[in-house]
Amino acid sequence: MNQRDLELLSAYLDGQLKPSESAHLESRLNSDPQLASVLTDLRATRNLLRKLPARKAPRNFTLTRKMVGQNPPLPRAYPWFRFASALATLLLFFSFGVNTVGRQMTSQAPVFGMGGGGGASEDSTELFSAQEAPAAAPAAATEAPAETEAPILEMAPMPTQMSTEAADAARIVDTPVAKNAGETENAVAEDQFQSPAPLVPSTWQIALAAIAIGGALFMGLVRQISARRWK
Amino acid sequence: MNEQALITDAQGGNLDAFNTLILHYQDSVFNTALRILGDEDQAADASQEAFISAFKSISSFRGGSFKGWLMRTVTNACYDELRRQKRRPTTPLEPDTEDGEEMDSPRWLADPNMTPDQKAEADEVEHAIQHCLNNLPLEFKTVVVMADIQGMDYTEVAASIRVPLGTIKSRLARARLRLRECLQGFAELLPASYRLEDGINVS
Repeated sequence: MNQRDLELLSAYLDGQLKPSESAHLESRLNSDPQLASVLTDLRATRNLLRKLPARKAPRNFTLTRKMVGQNPPLPRAYPWFRFASALATLLLFFSFGVNTVGRQMTSQAPVFGMGGGGGASEDSTELFSAQEAPAAAPAAATEAPAETEAPILEMAPMPTQMSTEAADAARIVDTPVAKNAGETENAVAEDQFQSPAPLVPSTWQIALAAIAIGGALFMGLVRQISARRWK
Repeated sequence: MNEQALITDAQGGNLDAFNTLILHYQDSVFNTALRILGDEDQAADASQEAFISAFKSISSFRGGSFKGWLMRTVTNACYDELRRQKRRPTTPLEPDTEDGEEMDSPRWLADPNMTPDQKAEADEVEHAIQHCLNNLPLEFKTVVVMADIQGMDYTEVAASIRVPLGTIKSRLARARLRLRECLQGFAELLPASYRLEDGINVS
């Protein structure tokens, strides 16, 4: 018996032959006892397999949401809070970086200022003072209109100490000993070195930290509430 | 049970709908895994994995026989389990008898009306068949389990394991022949109506 006959017999058992193939095989089965015997064996084997008892599942295989990694539905505003919190965190770190760099630049200012008498650091200092403390300039100007060095003295870089420094500068200008321009520059630079002002105000940093932490806490709370409701 | 509606709901992420389908098919899935793996614990693990995998990929089900699709998932889970076993072979913890032979746990618990003798005989027959199934090449075993044990037709089996119909016919015929030869060794266990005759020589 060959492989082809075996496949024919197996398919015949399952009714998978075409009518013409079945008729031809049946005529062969009638005349070939060995072929008929194989068919009987294959049928018996198939019956044994079919009689195997169907076993019941030992437990229910139903799935939980945790098993399939489903998360509870979150409010629509949730992504916005996540974005705001992430952005606030990023800006907070950025502000620390900016302040560190700014402090270093400020501490280097006297070195450049002494040599050139009007370097880049002085320019930048002037920029900040002009932007952050515009009210202080007129006061200093009115108190020392005749002095040629007055604009330089007005360049107090620290917004929080602006009025004090402006007053100090005016006093220095009024003092005869301090009429030397170089000394005045030194006095301002030393003042800068002792208490460098942050480029990003600490109130901003506090606000950013509050947004970041508040956002994180809010998100945690929302997730907990959603999970509880979901169950 | 409206199967199509449950499938559609499950495809939309409705876990309850999918769990209803699981309850309907879990015995078939477990039996398939059991006959392929030959071990209840492994079959239960493979079945669970199969259902998890099926839920995650149910969006890929495009119609046809859902049972066939599930059977494909469970056979894949069984193949994974067998690959894992190959990588990390383990020693079974079944107790030995006084003679030092492995003690088998009773497998035939389907009919509570059976007498103890009938149960023992049925257990032995099932054990013999499982032993012969275990000796089959994996691709033969998959086909014979689906066709003869799960009662799926050729087309369904072909679609399920994605091989041509001719291959299914060939594998099934050869699997039945090998099983028949193997079961000859257990002739004394088999009921008289299932006794097999000797001497099939296939060239």
